[in-house]
Amino acid sequence: MKKGFIFLLFIFISFLSLQAQEGVDIFGYFETQASGAKIQDEFLFLYSNKLRVDLKSSLSSKVTFAANFDYLTYHGKTEWNILDFLSDDVVAEVPPGMEAFYVLPFENRHFLDNAYIKLSFKLFDLTAGKQQISLGTGYVWNPIDVFNIKELFDPTYEQPGHNAIRLDVPLGSTSTFTALFSPEDNWQNSAKLAQLKGRISHFDYALTAIEKVWRFHDYTQIDPETSYFLELPEKRKLLGASTAGELFGLGVWAEYAYNWMEISEDFYELVVGTDYTFNFQTYLMIEYYRNTLGKTDYTQYSLNDWMRSLAMEQKSITRDQVYAFIQHPATDLLNVGVSTIYSLSDKSMALVPTLNYSFSDNVEIFAYLNLNFGSEGKVFSKKMGNGGLVRVRVYF
Amino acid sequence: MKRILISGLVLLLMAPGLFSQELTGEEIIRKVNDLFNVDTSYGKSKMTITTSSGQKRTFISESWSKDKGEKNLVRYLEPARVKGQAVLMLNNADDIWMFFPRTQRIRKLATHAKKQKMQGSDFSYEDMGSGDAFIEDFTSKRLKDEKMEGNDCYKLELTRKPDSDMSYSRMIMWVIKENFVPIVIDYYDEDDPSYHEKKLTQSDIRVIDGIPTAMKVVMLNKNDNTQTEMELLEVKFNIPLDDKMFTERELKK
Repeated sequence: MKKGFIFLLFIFISFLSLQAQEGVDIFGYFETQASGAKIQDEFLFLYSNKLRVDLKSSLSSKVTFAANFDYLTYHGKTEWNILDFLSDDVVAEVPPGMEAFYVLPFENRHFLDNAYIKLSFKLFDLTAGKQQISLGTGYVWNPIDVFNIKELFDPTYEQPGHNAIRLDVPLGSTSTFTALFSPEDNWQNSAKLAQLKGRISHFDYALTAIEKVWRFHDYTQIDPETSYFLELPEKRKLLGASTAGELFGLGVWAEYAYNWMEISEDFYELVVGTDYTFNFQTYLMIEYYRNTLGKTDYTQYSLNDWMRSLAMEQKSITRDQVYAFIQHPATDLLNVGVSTIYSLSDKSMALVPTLNYSFSDNVEIFAYLNLNFGSEGKVFSKKMGNGGLVRVRVYF
Repeated sequence: MKRILISGLVLLLMAPGLFSQELTGEEIIRKVNDLFNVDTSYGKSKMTITTSSGQKRTFISESWSKDKGEKNLVRYLEPARVKGQAVLMLNNADDIWMFFPRTQRIRKLATHAKKQKMQGSDFSYEDMGSGDAFIEDFTSKRLKDEKMEGNDCYKLELTRKPDSDMSYSRMIMWVIKENFVPIVIDYYDEDDPSYHEKKLTQSDIRVIDGIPTAMKVVMLNKNDNTQTEMELLEVKFNIPLDDKMFTERELKK
């Protein structure tokens, strides 16, 4: 903890001295959050504080450096036993004596989230370092994005940075070719991406090819070397296409990815979505998602399925889902909305009422409830716990 | 000689008609449209929203436009909450992209997004969009001239065309005769043409680079009892702007 504060102090002093130099822009936010869930007749709380400090400097018209540092602290119930949320059938799969491994700890941490340099040449941009990789047109699910998995109840929250070298070559005014290399321990295991983006009429499209090692785990075995669950790395090759545009006045988007797996079964993911804003300012969005890695029969959800999903290694354990979101500005400072996620495969549903309030120019309050309506064992089972979150964020 | 005399007489007879020639509603609105749609422009503006409870929210943004408003780029500078967010509008805002700096994500928006309030203000993206909406989406009828804010004005009634999806059923516009600046525009509800929904007032008109420009614009929302004031801090017209300025590459800068 002491080390953390010293490190934070060092970062602040560095930032302040950088700010003293012309051309370095320092900004960011502080966020305090309270979340809770009702588990087995007990309401449990987890509090967190997050400080994000960004700096951006345009060293010249052709060179940009940007970075951000995150510092997080957790309080309240900082250890959650995942088995409390799962059905008795799934818990029965836990090997004897391994129960203690299914505890999810929230530990204070600080890290350099993004730190990259961008060189802009006449014909291309080159970005090297830890950076955001945002792929696909889907709102909640992105089949093409093998680097990130969005939080279902909070899909617009920022994603972690990834170490990569990225080349963007504009081809005319409407097309771009992107090549990305995300290094691992050797060339074979490193992620490679090639993407062509363009426009036909009012539609944007992207064709994407990716090769990446997927590092998921077997949550029924412990690796004696790491004393953690056994890692099962497997090469994944993906070909995908995505588009976004307008049809009959509706916003429409689609995203498809086929995945060739080195060992396990190949699978595909598909997203189709539409949205509309009514004249009375109400915004409506619907998105359908299919993942053939997900199962159609909820009694087949295994311990591994659940753990991979909760550990954000796998996007979904259920095959077909629909997300719907409606939002309306209740006042000029307050937006209220509700989203619902329904599994067409196991017929369970989560309801998420949301609220977004602009407290002042740089202070916003965001809150949501998540209410699960499925029976035990289903993806949105009541046993997952009904709860919610309140987040206050101050930008500087 | 006789021919010259006749020509002169004809000219003399025509002269009063020439100097007070009655412009039609369509001709006036075309001149208003031309005034808005300059070749290129750069502007830095401050937008202050006053809520129904009297609270204020302030935004500062920079914007660039080209090809008579066909291409537009807006980038927010303040407050910190939205700093770096940018909107690219091409083909008279038929194609819209929004950039979110923290996620480095670009989202393509459909044209219905133009109906959304711009940063919660009383301006929708539709209100801010340039292009030829006054001409293409409305028919114009000239009403009896009136004085407005101390100026001699043409008074126009713009009625939405049946195939248009604009959010207003009609507008009443007062256009200064001297410079064709629409000094006041009354907007009427989409479904009820008798319901006065919003009022836009332009003031502090200065000639910038030869173009009469309202440095202050206020939109009053009678529905919500709120008001948004837009103040031009800096403006330049007909400046050299490269087409590359209006691409995804520039949007992400």
